[in-house]
Amino acid sequence: MTTHNDRVDQAIRNAVETALPQIGGIDFDAALTSDVGLDSVQVMDLVMEIEDELDLSVPVEVLAEVQTLNQLAKRLRTMIKDNPR
Amino acid sequence: MSLFDKFSRLAAARAELGAEGTPPVATPIEEIISAAEGVIDGKRVILAGTNNYLGLTLDPDVVNSAKLALDHFGTGTTGSRMANGSYSGHAALERELASAFGWPSAMVFSTGYQANLASIATLAGKDDFLLLDSDSHASIYDGAKLGNAQTVIFRHNDPENLDRRLSRLGSDASRALIVVEGLYSMLGDQPPLAEFIEVKKRHNAWLLLDEAHSFGVFGDRGLGLAEQTGLLDDIDFVVGTFSKSLGGIGGFCTSPHAQLELLRLAARPYIFTASPSPAVIASTRTALAKVVAGTDLRSRLWDNINRLYDALADFGYRLGSDKPGPVAAIILPDRESALAHWKDLLANGIYTNLMVPPATPKGLNLLRISLSAAHTPEQIDRIVQAFGQLRKAA
Repeated sequence: MTTHNDRVDQAIRNAVETALPQIGGIDFDAALTSDVGLDSVQVMDLVMEIEDELDLSVPVEVLAEVQTLNQLAKRLRTMIKDNPR
Repeated sequence: MSLFDKFSRLAAARAELGAEGTPPVATPIEEIISAAEGVIDGKRVILAGTNNYLGLTLDPDVVNSAKLALDHFGTGTTGSRMANGSYSGHAALERELASAFGWPSAMVFSTGYQANLASIATLAGKDDFLLLDSDSHASIYDGAKLGNAQTVIFRHNDPENLDRRLSRLGSDASRALIVVEGLYSMLGDQPPLAEFIEVKKRHNAWLLLDEAHSFGVFGDRGLGLAEQTGLLDDIDFVVGTFSKSLGGIGGFCTSPHAQLELLRLAARPYIFTASPSPAVIASTRTALAKVVAGTDLRSRLWDNINRLYDALADFGYRLGSDKPGPVAAIILPDRESALAHWKDLLANGIYTNLMVPPATPKGLNLLRISLSAAHTPEQIDRIVQAFGQLRKAA
């Protein structure tokens, strides 16, 4: 589990750095739209980076259910656990 | 707390565009003088920001057919295609669209938005998959939301990125519908269609091509990018609109698969809305005949496209697409300079479109020009001169 956690967190950090270099450090508990101020296109770009980092596809429906990176990370860990490669 | 609190960010973005002068969003057009000229703020302007690519909105034959239908059939159908709203004209237009593509089936919808909503939400069901280009039009995203398929986004115009996502689906890819557009309206760029088709075939998936902005513009008969590139036989569904090259309002889906007809029984945006008015169906039928036969119209449009693209490149503007097309999107460094360009052009008698985030991909600030066969060489000269002056002043 720890390996998954590390892998997911690192993938998110890498993705933030690539897709949103202007943001700098990001609070995993901040709401991406209302707190960080991302628009829907920026969220989509970020998720596509995370998908490439983890080599998995994140259905759009998942995005409607998560507000923060920690919530997204939790969903990603479940997806990886359910579909081990 | 109010129901309206959630709109405060949108209201702030709108306010940033300025409260004074002619509004750059939902700009009121007071009069239409011709397909290429109108009146804004009491001033005669060249319309370089409409989607009237072939200039057919005021074509005498197109207008007359609408008038005749209005006199003969009345103002509206008052009902759905499923109930009392299927007139002879609707069926005739569907036959003519299918025949133009050489396919067995076509369906007509009340708007282009609904054509995508209905096709995407209904074709891809609960156990199916949707693969959408990240720069897709809102109607494509909304079609995905309305349906129950699992939706995955791939990077814009990136067949390799699509390939990876389809690979993850394994044999389930045979239940995946890929959606791409023939021309992306924000940047005016085109997809690498042959590469997408190669990926689609390899995974045994399905492909829907939205030709909203490319129908009437590309191909010998104006059928769109798939016709121009000789790839029509490899497409599963073509969606299009009547509100651009065809000069009306409405949309269609056509397919080489005769089972498309089954959507009439299941597509909610087709069933639960009134059918298009007889006048719009009649004008669209006449416009369609002109589009299919319209090599002269396309030749005039392409002369204008090439002239403007060459001039903008000579001035050193950065454009959204390397390949010329009916949309020329000029990428400007920030919102302020995009707004300033828009205002200067309007003051010079040229109406264009201002496009800013969040409506644009990659947070770009754009000035969008839409070309038309109805633009005269003199009007194109005026547009070019206006950009030349802006460039000098910069």
